Amino acid sequence: MHHIANASLTDKVMSSGDSNPAATPTPCVDIQGDGRWMSLHNHFVSNSKDKEPDVLFVGDSLVQLLHQFEVWRELFSPLHALNFGVGGDETQHVLWRLSNGELAHISPKVVVLWVGTHNHGHTAEQICGGIMAIVQLIKDKLPKAYTLVLGVLPRGKMPNPLRERNAQVNKLVKEAVSSLPHASLLNVDPGFVHSDGSISHQDLYDFLHLTPQGYQAVCQPLHAHLKGLLEKQAEN
Amino acid sequence: MSGDEINPAAVAQAVEDVQGDDRWMSQHTRFVQECKDAEPEVLFIGDSMVQLMQQYEIWRELFSPLHALNFGIGGDTTCNVLWRLQNGELDNIRPKVTVVWVGTNNHEHSAEQVAGGILAIAQLLTSRLPKTKVVVLGLLARGDGPNPLREKNAAVNGFLRSWLPRLGQAQFLDVGVGFVHSDGTISTRDMFDFLHLTAAGYRAIAKPLSDLLLQILDETPEEKRASLV
Repeated sequence: MHHIANASLTDKVMSSGDSNPAATPTPCVDIQGDGRWMSLHNHFVSNSKDKEPDVLFVGDSLVQLLHQFEVWRELFSPLHALNFGVGGDETQHVLWRLSNGELAHISPKVVVLWVGTHNHGHTAEQICGGIMAIVQLIKDKLPKAYTLVLGVLPRGKMPNPLRERNAQVNKLVKEAVSSLPHASLLNVDPGFVHSDGSISHQDLYDFLHLTPQGYQAVCQPLHAHLKGLLEKQAEN
Repeated sequence: MSGDEINPAAVAQAVEDVQGDDRWMSQHTRFVQECKDAEPEVLFIGDSMVQLMQQYEIWRELFSPLHALNFGIGGDTTCNVLWRLQNGELDNIRPKVTVVWVGTNNHEHSAEQVAGGILAIAQLLTSRLPKTKVVVLGLLARGDGPNPLREKNAAVNGFLRSWLPRLGQAQFLDVGVGFVHSDGTISTRDMFDFLHLTAAGYRAIAKPLSDLLLQILDETPEEKRASLV
């Protein structure tokens, strides 16, 4: 009982912006000089004005790149999905984008959230807090939507601290959403790590980003799960 | 570049692992290993513009048949490419053509310095591989609308246009024609984040590039037997 009380206090602290930078809505500052992050955000906001997506994918480069390959057209266009992925985004960037117009004109039934791997300098607890802050924001703005959080994938050619961090993020998020009726965590890692601990460049071409083959392995079960969710939403 | 000033964009430099999963070195190591097994006729080297191309169908259609190797790493600057070429990525291979596409990530350097870095790469290639032809691709415009990086990349291209012909075996190819519309915008249909190319974007640049490669490969003598006329 004591443990549960402590856990929920930590959750509250970690998903409030006050003490967790990963849960504080923060835009990306343009240091390179071409304003691309803000351009993309504005593009998503205006792009959403005449669309009626049933599914919204939002997150980082794993989401963004998905939109570029055939698998998107095969599996997700038919579900009337929109893609608001931005390469390099951390939880606090996604939080800012969703708080500043990207949810203003649409009412998707399901939001697929995939973010966290780029939160360098944050602990697993902070990253979980950031993800949960996004889950809460989506609930506030889209009370009828279901949020499907995708587990953060392993990365790097061989075992390394980031794999441990990402696994811990997934564990913490899974616990945090377990009591929520409007959200869940889906592990989409089909087994990228081989028995010798290595990841293949055929799946993750730079040991972080998915190849088309890698996306197929991730997306087939994701697609099936999504269809199930959409059917259930339709019944409600 | 005049005088004794060292061009920082022409100084070889590895990428430090700050994130914690050592991916840059893992990719470099994989490329060095590929040099031991492969006999490429064409070598592509550069940044994410090169790396991402291999993930699209167009690579398999147009460049795999040319026996091409892809040594692109996302985020690389001219310094990083120089380091990789000096540390194993040219060992044991003798490509007939090397395609170089790098420079857009050199944020700390001026246009002249970036062009100097690219020139240094071309010089390294021609000295290590005397028979190779070097094709340097122009830097593309970037960003949703006009911005300083577009001007910088255009300036880099300007320097390259005049400097590269002085290296007999190197040439400049501008693949950026048509990406900037008359209103100054770039479409996400061509560059999904106003920097990286979509499948359609790659298709547009791949055609002139593969035409040029085919032409060069065609002109490059194999071990010809004397023809008996």
